[in-house]
Parts: sequence; structure tokens; C-alpha cells
Amino acid sequence: MKLEVDVKRCEGHGLCLQAAPQVLHHNENSEVVIDVEVLSGEALAQAEAAVRICPVAALRLTPKP
Amino acid sequence: MSKAPVTSDIDLFADDILVDAYPTFKALRDQAAVVYLPINNLYVLTRYDVIRAALGDPATFSSVKGIGFNPAVNDALQGTSLASDPPIHTQLRATLAANLTPRKLRAIEEQIVGKAEALVRKLVQGGGFEAMDALARAFPLEIVADLIGFTGDVKKNMLRWGQAAMEVIGPMNQRTIENFPIAGELYGWCSQVTANDLVPGSIGRGIFEAMDRGEIPPGSAGHIIHQYLGAGVDTTIASIGNVVALFGRHPEQFERVRQDPSLVPSAFSEVLRYYPVVHAWGRRVTRDVEIEGVLIPEGSQAAVLFGAGNRDERHYANPDVFDVARNPADHLMFGYGPHSCAGQGLARMEGHAVITALARHVRSFRLGDWAKKPTNVTQAFDKLMVHDVVGA
Repeated sequence: MKLEVDVKRCEGHGLCLQAAPQVLHHNENSEVVIDVEVLSGEALAQAEAAVRICPVAALRLTPKP
Repeated sequence: MSKAPVTSDIDLFADDILVDAYPTFKALRDQAAVVYLPINNLYVLTRYDVIRAALGDPATFSSVKGIGFNPAVNDALQGTSLASDPPIHTQLRATLAANLTPRKLRAIEEQIVGKAEALVRKLVQGGGFEAMDALARAFPLEIVADLIGFTGDVKKNMLRWGQAAMEVIGPMNQRTIENFPIAGELYGWCSQVTANDLVPGSIGRGIFEAMDRGEIPPGSAGHIIHQYLGAGVDTTIASIGNVVALFGRHPEQFERVRQDPSLVPSAFSEVLRYYPVVHAWGRRVTRDVEIEGVLIPEGSQAAVLFGAGNRDERHYANPDVFDVARNPADHLMFGYGPHSCAGQGLARMEGHAVITALARHVRSFRLGDWAKKPTNVTQAFDKLMVHDVVGA
């Protein structure tokens, strides 16, 4: 699985940072940067939590082609 | 083949329900995920998953002519970010939220924290206070006034304008009728306010300057100010009152936050989960949609019951327990998806600042008399006495 961020929706609330510290971070403009390309195990669990927690539904998991 | 909807003969906006909705919410949630209320002509969504799914599906659950519970307020809100759908909504929302991003808010965070500290320290010295006026109303009014750059008479009107703007979202009952003229004063003021009315350097003044530079559409600055005031005052007041009430009713939970200030964000989320500040919020259903086998017909109005979803035992274990370590960051009180609260970053900053200041400067306190008045939308204490404050 792969985590994608819809940059038009993301407002930088940052809740995903606590949910998925292994998977993503904010750059200096409070924009999400995804650090892990292919997710499995703990990283996948964190990514799922981040998707659930994002208040503006800007994150989604897609099957890695 | 759809089932006929389960119905309930309650009036969602009856006085007794508005002052304590939780038994009703539990009964509705036990009945079904969707319950039709003939008295209100509303399909209410009662469980966490269906509420969240509806909020995430604006194509089916539209905000156009759908968020308020009377036609006059839906007409008045037309063209605002609140009452529009993507793609129009996307641009309006971006304009509204631009000054409320965490990056922008960082510039005023120190100021907000400092104000909470100063206010709480002063209250502790007095030994007791009425928490709604002295803290819950005083703090957000000052923050939002500074943010928008209000002075003088406008500042005096903020509380009644903010309350009225929420109240008129209800059905056309006596409360709504009485508040329409007051909400109209706010609308009128926002229609004619100019940059010179606002303090130089304030975010409000900045919105007008952005309009002059052509960065946002002509005429939109007043709308944005209107939404900051309409949405940002009454709700935050209610949630800060709820912080005091819940810590007072659960002193052992307050003690946990005092011992471990890293629980502050979790505690604020739990306050918003446990005592949601918005009673109900509408959506217009754009097509026949089936939820758990029940048809909601095209054109009907649905209402999300945040407080019912936030106490859904299908989603939260022991939902009626107030637990500051629960960290329910996925609670529904800021909504969800494209319309989720544009000011949630500011609201969190204010809530965290108040809880942090209380945990730092108050060792213990005792709740005294309290009062709640029925209000259509914002659920807040009206009075909340705090006694025997022991400083830390």
C-alpha cells in the first residue's frame, strides 16, 4: 500500500504527524512529506491511523501498482 | 428493496432535549443508524460511521440549502463557504482558512498562551469565579477581537452577535425568531465594515488588504469576518466552559493532566468528544441514498448528531466514561472532510492554552451551582460557579 496526500485539501493541522511519525513529516511550510514509499507492518498501521485522523480527509491509502 | 425508516416522535429541538441530549441520543442510536423524525421532518444520523461517511460525501450530503433547519437561514447563508459544495466551496474555503493555518497561527500562539496564563493566574488569586463569564467568554472574545482587529462598540456586540448567528440555524421556533434581528445586525455590520475600522496589523485588516491586492474576490472580506465571528466565538466559549465543568466533575482526571501535561491535547479532544458543543447540523440529500437498508429520499434533509456519534459504543469503548488519556483525535466535533471546522487549529490552540494554564496554576477547585438554557445549536453552560480554588 501507498499513502497519498491531496495537497489541495491539506491545511496543515498536523494530526497525522502524531499518528504516523515513521511515515511522514511536515516541511518548513507545514506541508506533508511522505517518507516511506511502500508500506507494511507498523508503518502501514501508522498510515491507516493517519488516514483515520486527518480532519479534512486529505490522506488516502492506495494499492501500490 | 429498502426498509421503511425507523421513526421517533421526539422534537429534536425541545427544551428538555437541548439541555441534556445524551439519553435521547442513546435511544436514537439504539434504534437505528438513521431515524426519521416526523416532527422535525429530518432524517437524523446517529452512529459514528454513518455520520463520518455522510460528512465525507458532499456530493450526496450537500451543504447547499441544507445546513440550517429553516429556509430563511439557508437563504441567508447562500454563497458562503459553509453553505456551498465543491468545487465552488474549495476556493471559498481556501480563502477562509488561509489565515487559520497552523503556520499562520504560530505567529499568535505566544500571545494566546500568554493571555490564558494571565487570565487563569488572576482568577486563582480570587479563590472563586463564575467560569462562563470570567473565563469561557472572556478568553475567546479577547482572542477573536484581537485576531479580527475589533475595537469599541463592535467588541461589546461580539458575544450577542456570535450567539445569535448560531441560534438562527435552528428550526423556526421562538429562539430563532428572536435572534434573527440580532444576527441581522452582525450581517449588516460585516457588509459595511472597511479596513479602517480594524486595527492595523490585525488579521482582519490583512484580509481587506488581500482583497485590495486582488488576491481574494471583491466583497469577500466582509463574509470572512462574518464567518470568523459567527462560527468562532460561541462554539469556543462552550468548549472552554465544558473543560471547567468536566475537570470539576472528574477531579481525578484533572489531577492526571496536572501530573502529566503531555495529556493536554488528548484531554481537549476528550472534552470535545464527551460534551460536543454543536447539537445538530444539516445536510440536503441530493439523490435517493440507502443507509443500512433505509432509503433517504432525494431532496430531504438529514441532520448529523455529533453528540450521538461521539458516544457511539460501536466506535469508542466505554463511551460514557470521561478519560483524558483516551486521545480520541478522530472525534466528530470539528466535523470531518471538506467542511470540517476551518478554525479548528485556532480552537485547539485556545483549548490547549486554557487547559495548560489551569494545570499549571490550579491545584484543585470545587464546582458549585450551574445552569444551562435551552439553545438551538450551541450547547453551552450558561453559568458555572467555581469555588475553593487552591493555587498550585
